[in-house]
Amino acid sequence: MVRQSFLRILTTLACSLAIAVTGCNSRSRDHNTQEASTGASQSSGQKVAVVISTLNNPWFVVLAESAKENATKLGYEATVFDSQNDPAKETAHFDNVIASGYSAILFNPTDADGSVANVRRAKEAGVPVFCMDREINATDAAVSQILSDNYSGCVALGQHFVKEVGESGEYVELLGLVGDNNTRNRSDGFHSVVDRYPDLKLVAQQSADFDRAKALDVMETILQAHPNIKAVFCGNDAMAMGAYQALLAAGKDQQVKVFGFDGAEDVVNMIKEGKIVATGMQFPKLMAQTAAEYADKYLKGERDLSRKVPVAVELVHQGNADKYGDTGKEDAE
Amino acid sequence: MKSSRQRWVIRGTIAAACVVAVWFWPLFQIVPLEQAEQESLAAEAESFDPAAFVEKFWNEQLIPAESRAVDAQKLIAAIQEDHAKARKTRGRSVGLSSTYYYFISGTGRVTRVERNTVALVIRQGADDAEVLLESGPIFGNAVRDATGLLDVNDYANSQDFNRISSEINRRIEAQVLPTLRKVAVVGGTVRFVGCVQITDETTDLSPLRVVPFIAEAQ
Repeated sequence: MVRQSFLRILTTLACSLAIAVTGCNSRSRDHNTQEASTGASQSSGQKVAVVISTLNNPWFVVLAESAKENATKLGYEATVFDSQNDPAKETAHFDNVIASGYSAILFNPTDADGSVANVRRAKEAGVPVFCMDREINATDAAVSQILSDNYSGCVALGQHFVKEVGESGEYVELLGLVGDNNTRNRSDGFHSVVDRYPDLKLVAQQSADFDRAKALDVMETILQAHPNIKAVFCGNDAMAMGAYQALLAAGKDQQVKVFGFDGAEDVVNMIKEGKIVATGMQFPKLMAQTAAEYADKYLKGERDLSRKVPVAVELVHQGNADKYGDTGKEDAE
Repeated sequence: MKSSRQRWVIRGTIAAACVVAVWFWPLFQIVPLEQAEQESLAAEAESFDPAAFVEKFWNEQLIPAESRAVDAQKLIAAIQEDHAKARKTRGRSVGLSSTYYYFISGTGRVTRVERNTVALVIRQGADDAEVLLESGPIFGNAVRDATGLLDVNDYANSQDFNRISSEINRRIEAQVLPTLRKVAVVGGTVRFVGCVQITDETTDLSPLRVVPFIAEAQ
């Protein structure tokens, strides 16, 4: 009786596990095949996969399109895969890319730790991986990592914040997606400077998910509770624009200094117009171009490539904004 | 009857085994949030200890590297002559960046002492301050990146590399700047070894803003 019950439970568990596993795989495979067929129909020579954390953010669209464009210029068939910020989708893309005979992967990871296994699997299968913008926490998996230094960029932004706002007064911070590495790196870099000035008081710190509309709502609410703030630091430029809109509507755009991060064209123009004080300029086109060139060199036999290439984030303020355009220096584009 | 008793004995034994197993290997544990955060921070600190790293780096690499620093008089003259050439021959940059660094040493006469800087004249006959020694809060990566002693490729993630910078800066503030502020008297002479970060050539080349890791009265 006991043995029978035990067997019954074991069989049920085994069946459930089998259904779950096969169900998941078939769904992933269908999804992957659909995207692979798009790439295959275009490809003739060597293929390069561009696996991007999300295409639901214009900044990453620029990164993906630049990577694809540069790989194409170098003679490769390039296909973009959108991981939709989902590590499971990213794993499915890697399965597909490895099985479909791609020569290299230009990769923007979803998770610094979680993505390491995918990169290792590609390496074992002989597919070199080149990380762009975001880092994976391993030095022996990717061939090269071309990384935006968010922390140091926000240290510079924090220094400029103190210079412009002064060493005392109330300010607020709008955070990006909680759980995103860049949210933490940017906030940590900024606070490593600003927290050294005890009379600068952080009166509100709220997430607006890197979203302009949410930033507008959050800022409106914060202004009701804290009408005397002197500045707002935003974890990206979309939130900076939302915050500025709220300040403008409340008639406080002259009182409150706005700081962003990313280097979006709209914000650079607003800096030139004196509406926003400063932003940190990232260089997605440069990172994508470098990753594509590194992949090309590697596939042509070169092995003397830097494992990590930090790409500086540059401070854009009212004194130097004329030198900058959308996502980079105007003279560099 | 006997078999029924046997069944109950078996069931009882299995239940007791389960209780013992769950006691020693619980399925989940409830801990206060504060304790969990402390454990997480402790685990993080255990994986890389920037204070221990910088203690070793400071004594075994940074201080002995003093002789490799460019002489301040020569560097200032070279920048005045051709700053692009000076950057190429004596500067250092990391990764893809327009920012670059100089590793510099020299002796100068104190002309002004302000809240966060000590102004020095390096060359005889010069009137304006040629070097500003930072004496307030220290930020940035000048000392980590200017010397060429540390390579980002040696670290698993850039957070660890950034923590090295923070720790070097903290150590300079705690150990070097109090001495600098004590010996910085207008008219006096100060010897220094330090690093310069050039981000904007229109403002950063003259005077050179030096983050000193050695500062003493001469």
